[in-house]
Amino acid sequence: MDELEEIKITFFQECDELLGDLESGLLSIDAGDTEPELVNAVFRAVHSVKGGAGAFGLEALVRFAHVFETLLDNIRGGKTALRPDLVKLLLRAADVLADHVAAAKLGGEGDAASTTAMVEELETWISGGPAPSPPALPADLQPNEDGIVFKPVTLTLPEVDEGPREEVWTITFQPMDELYAKANEAGLLIREIERLGKIDVELLDDALPIFDNLDPETAHFAWKVRLRTDVPEEKIREVFEFVEGHCSTTIVREASPPVLVEADAGPDIAAIIAAAQAANMEAEPAFTPLKVDVAAVESQPPVALAPAAPVAQVAQPTSPRSPQPPQGEKVNQATIRVDPERIDKLIDLVGELVINQAMLAQRVAGHGFAASSDVGRGLDELEQLTRDIQDSVMAIRAQPVKSVFQRMPRLVREIAGQTGKQVRLVTDGENTEVDKTVIERISEPITHMLRNAIDHGLETPEERVAAGKPTEGTVRLAALHRGGRIVIEVGDDGKGINRPRVRQIAIDRGLIAADAQLTDEEVDNLIFLPGFSTASTVSDISGRGVGMDVVRKSVQGLGGRISISSRPGFGSTFTLSLPLTLAVLDGMVIDVAGQTLVVPLTAIVESLRPAAAEVKKLGAQGGVLAVRDAYVPLVDIGRVLGFQTTEIDPAEGVVLLVDSEVGGRAALVADSIHGQRQVVIKSLESNYQQVPGIAAATILGDGRVALILDVDALVAMRKREPLRMPEPSIQAAE
Amino acid sequence: MPAASALSVLIVDDQLTIRSLVRNGLQQIGVTNTREAGDGEEAVAALVARPAHLVITDFNMPKLDGLGLLRAIRSYEPIKNTAVIMLTGRADPELVQRAAQYGVNNYLVKPFTVATLREKIEEVFGALT
Repeated sequence: MDELEEIKITFFQECDELLGDLESGLLSIDAGDTEPELVNAVFRAVHSVKGGAGAFGLEALVRFAHVFETLLDNIRGGKTALRPDLVKLLLRAADVLADHVAAAKLGGEGDAASTTAMVEELETWISGGPAPSPPALPADLQPNEDGIVFKPVTLTLPEVDEGPREEVWTITFQPMDELYAKANEAGLLIREIERLGKIDVELLDDALPIFDNLDPETAHFAWKVRLRTDVPEEKIREVFEFVEGHCSTTIVREASPPVLVEADAGPDIAAIIAAAQAANMEAEPAFTPLKVDVAAVESQPPVALAPAAPVAQVAQPTSPRSPQPPQGEKVNQATIRVDPERIDKLIDLVGELVINQAMLAQRVAGHGFAASSDVGRGLDELEQLTRDIQDSVMAIRAQPVKSVFQRMPRLVREIAGQTGKQVRLVTDGENTEVDKTVIERISEPITHMLRNAIDHGLETPEERVAAGKPTEGTVRLAALHRGGRIVIEVGDDGKGINRPRVRQIAIDRGLIAADAQLTDEEVDNLIFLPGFSTASTVSDISGRGVGMDVVRKSVQGLGGRISISSRPGFGSTFTLSLPLTLAVLDGMVIDVAGQTLVVPLTAIVESLRPAAAEVKKLGAQGGVLAVRDAYVPLVDIGRVLGFQTTEIDPAEGVVLLVDSEVGGRAALVADSIHGQRQVVIKSLESNYQQVPGIAAATILGDGRVALILDVDALVAMRKREPLRMPEPSIQAAE
Repeated sequence: MPAASALSVLIVDDQLTIRSLVRNGLQQIGVTNTREAGDGEEAVAALVARPAHLVITDFNMPKLDGLGLLRAIRSYEPIKNTAVIMLTGRADPELVQRAAQYGVNNYLVKPFTVATLREKIEEVFGALT
């Protein structure tokens, strides 16, 4: 059921591509391309949509596609000649088809009315072609410069009853003596003003002298009139036209009160809006255009336009997909398909950006800019931004592990059948995302781990019953994010690792000494040793020369770690920890014998400067370091990698405590530490060749090449040191 | 031939910047009688309180968007003949088509020039004087 849904999703993705092909093909034909293959391609696209739709019982889609296909077949066979108006019809039919697909995607059916109309048109052509070509688009319905066919709706400026557009004016009016001398009167002027609106008059009598000094021929009064009116300023000024020069007048508009929303607006705004939303305006717009010349348009036979909207003619000249999902329906999130090469290129470029950013930071620091300076802060922001970009770009390439997990149930069924065991597979965390480069390479290790779990971990049904367990064994496959890595767990509820037997086999094969003292964990890890196989009979499943050592190797190749935990009688769990990406790595930059190296940060437990007393020499070469209560083997990187023959005195240098899958904890000895840095991984294999102890290379901020250490390999190599390097200096290589 | 100064316009946008740009553009072509509203609901209230000749409204707005405002105008009798010019961020045929269905008078793509603004208004009302 789930699978079917998955395939359906794929079908719709394909449909999108097919519809794209269909449209671009038709547009090419429309543009005058007469290549016969185009018609074939167009036909195939519709045919494929129909075929897939049939498989999913999308009957409406099939019916429409069938009619469409029939006409295309006629065209293909030369029965119907291609004409410009026919191409336009085909383009519209493609739209209807796209609408059907979009509707089917949401579980519905395309619009019946437009389908029926389109089917009729198509059938007219199928049965011998219609009347002569309809006329071209009216000139005023050609797409405008925006690529939209839109005819503005004209409107004669209506007399809008604006209501009183009141403003408040303050008029200060001070008559001079002349005004009175010319037989004008202040009172008349004020009355004039009153005719313009509502007024408040205030007499300003400050200038009135005491009675003894009063000159009756002199003007003493002034007036301040507040006028509330909707007339423009000129009208007010007109009042004073005849007394100009005989009075001083100022007319000032008061700041108009905000009239944006009137609180006591009568009608209920919410009700108006609600009524409008409820009204089905597509069916019948309440708006009657005042002066729209659509009659001419409507009398035209249908051309390449959407059914005539009552108000304005709108159509889209190209790419006219506008499926309108039913309201309230959840719209599927749109996805785009991108050529992976483009993303890879982007990731490469971001990698270069990271390097450049590091170089810049280094140079700026070299010029003595403090971190708190403007430049320093700017660089900080740049670094943050660079990281964000990097994360975002990586997220584009991230994929859920589902694609890998999905393949496993079948595998489990097969192995169960071959081994005669009853197995139930439980998966968890299928949506955990990880970089595509990692996805592509985890399938194999997971397959091996599952095989191993069923073949070696689980008991036969009889054994299980005897052990008081259900006959059906459970294998659990889970993915989760932990600490910036993806962790894949393969667990079983089987018998667990038979430690005495593992130990015996290891002794028999000379992998360990007969008297070796090993912890349980160390015994468990013996199964990862090359050539180890616990299956007494080499079975089809586990015994194809692919032991756990190969699994571990491929996991390490991914910068990952694998570990096992087991409880006798209760089962084992393999835990695979992988970086989320193979493109970048957080590393510690160290100096060893004049070489700059990078240690993956994930391997480092802590770094310390040991006191001389904590270093214990063991023999001529090698030694251990006392770290708190434990002794940790010292690994001299320079010696192991062959950079130098003399050892660095750990007390003089720096020690990095690392966790390795093989030898447990170890202490890497280096000359000095530069600091922590994010580096872009450059494969050594693809640029040079594989080098033991080296995982990859990178380019540092100053442009130098630095090698990234393979800590596990390094620790493992310690025993076989000194190692001969294929070339004395890697950096010399291209 | 309507006089630009006689035209009353309600500018509706949630962004003050756009409102200011439209207001400034209108002033440059002589339309000084402008009011502003910050979203569709405010605009409906403003129109009901005092009608305008023309509403220039953005599409994306909180509460009530441009299409909602357009529908409200067209379905409420006292203001249904108000001219509406829709501002859009890009020439989106689908959006313009929907707006056309609801009776938009014209549309205006951001960013716009004063000349385009004038043109779009004149396409609706005829040449402005």
